[in-house]
Amino acid sequence: MDKIKKIYKKLTIMGKISLLIFIIFLIMGVFSGKIARFPHDNIVAASFVSPNKTHLLGTDDLGMDIFAQILYGARVSIGLSLFVAIVSTLIGASVGIVAAYYGGVIDRLLIRLIDVLTIIPSLPILIIISSFWGPSMKNIVIILVLLSWISPARIIRSKTLQLKEEPYILVAEYYGAGFLHLTRKHFIIELVPIILVSIIKLISRTIVSEASLSFLGLGDPTNKTWGLVLNFALGFQAIYFTEYWKWWVLSPLLAIILLVLAVAFLSVDLEKIANTRL
Amino acid sequence: MKNILLEIENLNIDYFDGETPLAATKDIGFSIFEGETLGIIGESGSGKTSIANAIMRILPANASVSGRISYKNRDILKMDDKEMKKILWNEIAMIFQNSLDVLNPLLTIGEQIAETLREHKSLKRKEAEDITKEYLEKVGLEKDDFKAYPHQLSGGMRQRALIAMGLVCQPKLLIADELTSALDAKTKSEILDLLSNLQKEFNFSLLLISHELDTIASLTERLMVLYRGQLLEEGFTKEILRYQYHPYSRGLINSSTTINVYKDLWGIPARKTLEEGDGCPFYSRCNQKIEICKLERPSLISLEASRKLACHQGGILEVLRGEDISKSFMNKNGQVRACIDCSLYIRQGEFISLVGQSGSGKTTLANILSGVLKKDSGSVLFKKENSEAMKLGSQLGGVQIVFQDPFSSINENFTVLDAVREPLQINKLEDQVEEKVKEYLSRVELENSTGYLARRIHSLSGGQRQRVALARALIMEPELLIADEICSMLDKSTEANILRLLKKLQNEEGFSMIYITHNLNVALKLSDRILVMNEGRIVESGNPVTIMKNPKDKYTKDLIRFNKKNELLLYD
Amino acid sequence: MKRYKWILDIIITILIVVTLNFFIPRLMPGDPFMYLEGEDGHIMSNFSEGDIQRYKEYYNMDKPLLEQYIDYLKKLVKLDLGYSIYYRHEVSYLIKSRLKWTIPLVAISILLSSFLGTVLGLISAWKRGSFFDRLCYFIMIILNEIPSFLIGVLFLFTLGAKYKLFPISGGFTLYGNFVTRKEKILDIIHHGVLPSLTLMLVSIGDYYLYARNSMINILSKDYIKTARAKGLKNRVIIFKHMLRNGIAPILTRIFLSFGNIVGGAVLVENVFAYPGLGKMMQSSIKTRDYPLLQGIFLVTTLTVLVTTIIGDKINQILDPRLKNG
Repeated sequence: MDKIKKIYKKLTIMGKISLLIFIIFLIMGVFSGKIARFPHDNIVAASFVSPNKTHLLGTDDLGMDIFAQILYGARVSIGLSLFVAIVSTLIGASVGIVAAYYGGVIDRLLIRLIDVLTIIPSLPILIIISSFWGPSMKNIVIILVLLSWISPARIIRSKTLQLKEEPYILVAEYYGAGFLHLTRKHFIIELVPIILVSIIKLISRTIVSEASLSFLGLGDPTNKTWGLVLNFALGFQAIYFTEYWKWWVLSPLLAIILLVLAVAFLSVDLEKIANTRL
Repeated sequence: MKNILLEIENLNIDYFDGETPLAATKDIGFSIFEGETLGIIGESGSGKTSIANAIMRILPANASVSGRISYKNRDILKMDDKEMKKILWNEIAMIFQNSLDVLNPLLTIGEQIAETLREHKSLKRKEAEDITKEYLEKVGLEKDDFKAYPHQLSGGMRQRALIAMGLVCQPKLLIADELTSALDAKTKSEILDLLSNLQKEFNFSLLLISHELDTIASLTERLMVLYRGQLLEEGFTKEILRYQYHPYSRGLINSSTTINVYKDLWGIPARKTLEEGDGCPFYSRCNQKIEICKLERPSLISLEASRKLACHQGGILEVLRGEDISKSFMNKNGQVRACIDCSLYIRQGEFISLVGQSGSGKTTLANILSGVLKKDSGSVLFKKENSEAMKLGSQLGGVQIVFQDPFSSINENFTVLDAVREPLQINKLEDQVEEKVKEYLSRVELENSTGYLARRIHSLSGGQRQRVALARALIMEPELLIADEICSMLDKSTEANILRLLKKLQNEEGFSMIYITHNLNVALKLSDRILVMNEGRIVESGNPVTIMKNPKDKYTKDLIRFNKKNELLLYD
Repeated sequence: MKRYKWILDIIITILIVVTLNFFIPRLMPGDPFMYLEGEDGHIMSNFSEGDIQRYKEYYNMDKPLLEQYIDYLKKLVKLDLGYSIYYRHEVSYLIKSRLKWTIPLVAISILLSSFLGTVLGLISAWKRGSFFDRLCYFIMIILNEIPSFLIGVLFLFTLGAKYKLFPISGGFTLYGNFVTRKEKILDIIHHGVLPSLTLMLVSIGDYYLYARNSMINILSKDYIKTARAKGLKNRVIIFKHMLRNGIAPILTRIFLSFGNIVGGAVLVENVFAYPGLGKMMQSSIKTRDYPLLQGIFLVTTLTVLVTTIIGDKINQILDPRLKNG
């Protein structure tokens, strides 16, 4: 708890604002059902009602409440990205530690895999796999995890390699410490800051990736993420020539931008703090 | 009188890391004359590199500088960038601490030297290249090294290149930062010779910054001792090496293996107290501190011509001084003159040995100095006061003496407790006597259980008895401890242990010691200074190296020759 | 031996990419040709029985896997990427025809953004902590994080739809009557401004942050201190000592960032309906034109691969420490 306070104190103003925004979005996602006055997937009013007291962000072409969609989208987008970020960071961390610790063939294989996967541009491969596999939430999650564990694996591998050379690790090994002991007692503590920063960075990357897929029409049509709301809005033929875009397009767009920026500024701050040590 | 080239006044450098400033130097002031070589010695973090960087105006952005650095009477700190760039390298150049990083890895050595010529001497590319090649050869590199990249040179070659770079514009002042660190012994001596010759050739002023005493000793005429950002002592290098006023300077020089060839290595004891004041920077490690040291910063003031010191106590205190001491005994053959006009002094924290064969008068002198024996003539001064009326042995902080024979110097029927507390009891000092006894027993590495306290002295071995005798002397917290052949009755291994213990206690607690022995080798290992006695006279005195290298008295020479012969016997 | 190891590395990487491309359709859950039918089970109108037959022929699904693989490699060597059913053309021809739109877009954006990013990064590092630096840093972090297509969408609705400064879609005016060649070129440039501006803005942040970072790193090096002590002019310190040390990694970074730019280009082209490869990729998803989709994937991936290798080599060539061992 003290540590959290300490970290909070070290945040810049931008970092604090970002944290606030992130928490607000988190609350919006978790309590979306309670906050929303309308269902997100039902017709509740006329089409294209402009923002007013009942419909804070207006309605779309079918007359569904956009604020409810944003709330629900927060839940799906943040939930999805948290899940992907945490799972892939944990996978990446485990792979990275194991590869760095054991070295040899395992490590060489990992490096080769990382090299190849880093070189292959991520968006085209995302597109091609998800267009073959078909757009479902499950598939999107799997693909994103498959592509996301690489960067934490690489960072954590190199940090672990560096740790492995520390005299206190050599001493511990001399005393007979094995993989489990070293990982539990030495590596994890040093790696926690990197792991946290990596999760946070992946959150924003995942939101962007999912939104990009949705934008290209590869989103799961049954789960309305922010990207999908935006995709529907942009898909509406006359959108460019009416005023509807001011709430229909801008709402999901600004939601994505705000969240992504908040996460970005937060991770810049946290990275600095992690580097200076507490 | 030579002209002053660079004069620094009240130089304060602070680094800002967050809110609180961290002082790198405090009120530094000194001058460098034309053609003079000046050294600054100090451990890492003493602020010596900051001073160099301040002169070159290359301190990092988070540093703030105040004071005056005047070069030829113009304040460098007030110059605009354009003026400064004219002086840099052209007038004041620097040899940076050698590392791969100090040269740009992507440019050739030659280019990095030649660019300074083109910048400051407005030379054409070809002319600059020629001069550069000339200088490369001057420092012992080859013309072809012009095209070499820094990573292609060895550490020693890189140091030569850095010297060439520093000299190529023929500066008036050259600053060298850690010239020889990270070089092997052979390269180091080559580099020292090189720079020394170049200095004679070009006659530039040299400011040499180093933590290495030998480098400083071989290149500088004058020396300043820097500690935690403050100058503590200043004077001619040779004089400081011979005689230090400041306890820190002494500690620094005692820690050097180059200077202490014979003596065991003893560092400056770690700080005893964590309290830091605005006072003397050496406060927490000093053994002779007084109240004012904590409160007020001592300023650097002149002691004598060309010698300056910053110490409230006026430097290392003198504990005891004997002047013209003479003593005769009567025996059946008539009068025996045991001491003839013996004069000596001992300073706070100093360890001196009195070496001589039996009958030389050393024990008599020791007894007179401690006040055990009355002298015929001369005087003994304790802390500059006549000790005649003082009872040096019966006060805390006085003089204590430990005798040769541990069997007769303690009452065998006493318990350990009784033996050690006797001086306190006699003089009715201290309330918690038993606690103090226990503490001192543990200091001399004896048991301090209740059982041990109750043991009789006659059940102890010689070594243990001598330790008890030491505890008994130390419990009086003496300023000066005199140990008279305390190991001559003990076996060699016990002797080694006791001597180590004694030296450790002396180094830690900072009392002064006079050690009396007939064994020159032991004296060499232990002492800051050795006095040789023969037939009642002090015939020789000096530090172990001067005694061994340059003995003056015939008796001393014999002693050394005898030692050498023994060595040969052993190793032939 | 070690000198040629990197060639082996490239071959292996290319093989992996090619193999991946081979297996993706074959590892699809269920029957791939199910997807040739529309979402609701109706056969898509633009696929005839003949088309599907051709399709099956291309994928050779009835032969053993190894034979399929060898067949596939053989075709690749001949640059035969298959036949697009939707466009009724060779995939390689289609890709070539679209590259002439995508390449200028990507090239102009990279040139502008890397130049601007590096210069601004250099200035920022030199004046670190100044107002300029803080402002630049703030803006660049924002630009670096906002996804490309969102910036594109914003431009589209403001500069395009609202203020009508630029056309909102296409690479040129359809059915436009151009009297002179110059008019036509101007029209194409007019259409290209928003897409390339968007693409430039999203990649500039990365270059800026990287340049600033590496320049700050260089500034802390001892040899910069040496250069300053030598009284060299700021110009010499910046351009000779700093830039020279920073330029190789920055160039490498530019080449390595190619993958991200390609991704950005796909999205940006779709935002502005720009007739490049990315737009075609998206329409091939909609029409389930698998050979075309795979062909585009292969071409983009291999291009990125090649630029990555060039980037690595550049770093080695420019740094004498990495030369001869």
